[in-house]
Amino acid sequence: MNPDALFQACNSVAIVGWVALLASPFLPKLADRVAGLVIPLLLSVSYTGIVLAFWSGTDGGFGTLADVMKLFTTREIVLAGWVHYLAFDLFVGAWEVRTARRERIPFLLVMPCLALTFMFGPAGLLMFSFIRAARLISTLASAA
Amino acid sequence: MSTPVAATQTAPTSISPFADLFRREPLFAGAALFFAAVMVPTTFALLIDTRTFQGINVWIKPLKFQLALAVYLATLALFAEWLPRETAQARWYRIYAAVAVFAMAAEIVWIGGAAALGVGSHYNTAVRGLYPLMGFFAVVLTTASLVYGVLVWRAKDDGIHSVFRMSVAVGLILTFVLTMIAATALSSFASHYIGSGTSDARSFPIMGWSRDGGDLRVAHFFATHAMHVIPVVGFIASLMLPKSLGRTAVILAAIAYTAFVGFTFIEALQGRPFTLLGFLGTGVSPDVQLPPSRSSGR
Repeated sequence: MNPDALFQACNSVAIVGWVALLASPFLPKLADRVAGLVIPLLLSVSYTGIVLAFWSGTDGGFGTLADVMKLFTTREIVLAGWVHYLAFDLFVGAWEVRTARRERIPFLLVMPCLALTFMFGPAGLLMFSFIRAARLISTLASAA
Repeated sequence: MSTPVAATQTAPTSISPFADLFRREPLFAGAALFFAAVMVPTTFALLIDTRTFQGINVWIKPLKFQLALAVYLATLALFAEWLPRETAQARWYRIYAAVAVFAMAAEIVWIGGAAALGVGSHYNTAVRGLYPLMGFFAVVLTTASLVYGVLVWRAKDDGIHSVFRMSVAVGLILTFVLTMIAATALSSFASHYIGSGTSDARSFPIMGWSRDGGDLRVAHFFATHAMHVIPVVGFIASLMLPKSLGRTAVILAAIAYTAFVGFTFIEALQGRPFTLLGFLGTGVSPDVQLPPSRSSGR
């Protein structure tokens, strides 16, 4: 299979998950299942298949930055790396939405976190955690 | 007050046959489900990988083994219903079952790993001691059919028609004995091909057996499926025949099936492709010169 076609397919599937997260205030159960489970697992199947098929054709490794760069000279392994981002970013985004719902964090505050998680994964997680921490501290302080 | 009693009596004890497997043997049923699930990413690898081994995609073999072990475990979970009641809780049995599942997982990892590397698994002696170790694990996982066969045979609390129970025991024990013979022969050669065969391309559909020479995998396949064929015969016999005739039918079926497996075994050793399907017109490609075929006697 052509790696470019697979890249496009995975991107499209991931977008469906992010749209579901944006619609989550209206369709919470569906969004949880689609963005928190089904699509991350579909992407994980793709990732695992790519790694099974192409890992042995690479050199390089995880030990040094130079090794990682060598790894990313193989087209299919770069694709695997990208699908890894797609799967885990969406999974984290869905976790943020669920956590916010449970802790009654307004969706308006979650939306920028989702945007950041979508674009720059860990930065979005950081922003969401800051919002959570700020709310927790203010709750504790007002209770004291 | 009769209505509630009737309602309790007709209430199903389990929600589905599938859930029933988990009640009977949760470890085997769970492992069966897991191996079946592993087929999903393996199939994805098959779709995107273009590497071949002996003429076919490298991922065909891992898929076959994942499916085979899933079916094997699900069948054992099905038969677990007829183990002696105290066995399922016995400490030795729980340990043994865990060891058997570990052996199967090791085979899946080994065969899948070899496919990922694009090298052979069986007959590959590049890593010293690995192939014999996997042979040992294969024996361990095959003993599960023997253990089950003996336990079902000896089970006293008879909640099952005795003809069927006997056929389950006979089928399981036959699977062990015939598979050990076929697999020992397989591993004593340098390849499962006998004669000219060196490729799985243009082979039997789905099964992948050679069509231009002998292939010992044929006998292995049929040997291992005694645990399915004989109980099917026993099930039908238990419905249609009186007890003594039913038992005779099961014994005759076991003898006939053993003869059939023996036939496929000798056929392969003589370097001839599996011919029973050839009689039906699908087994031999037209450009292959078939040796004068003998009657299979069946």
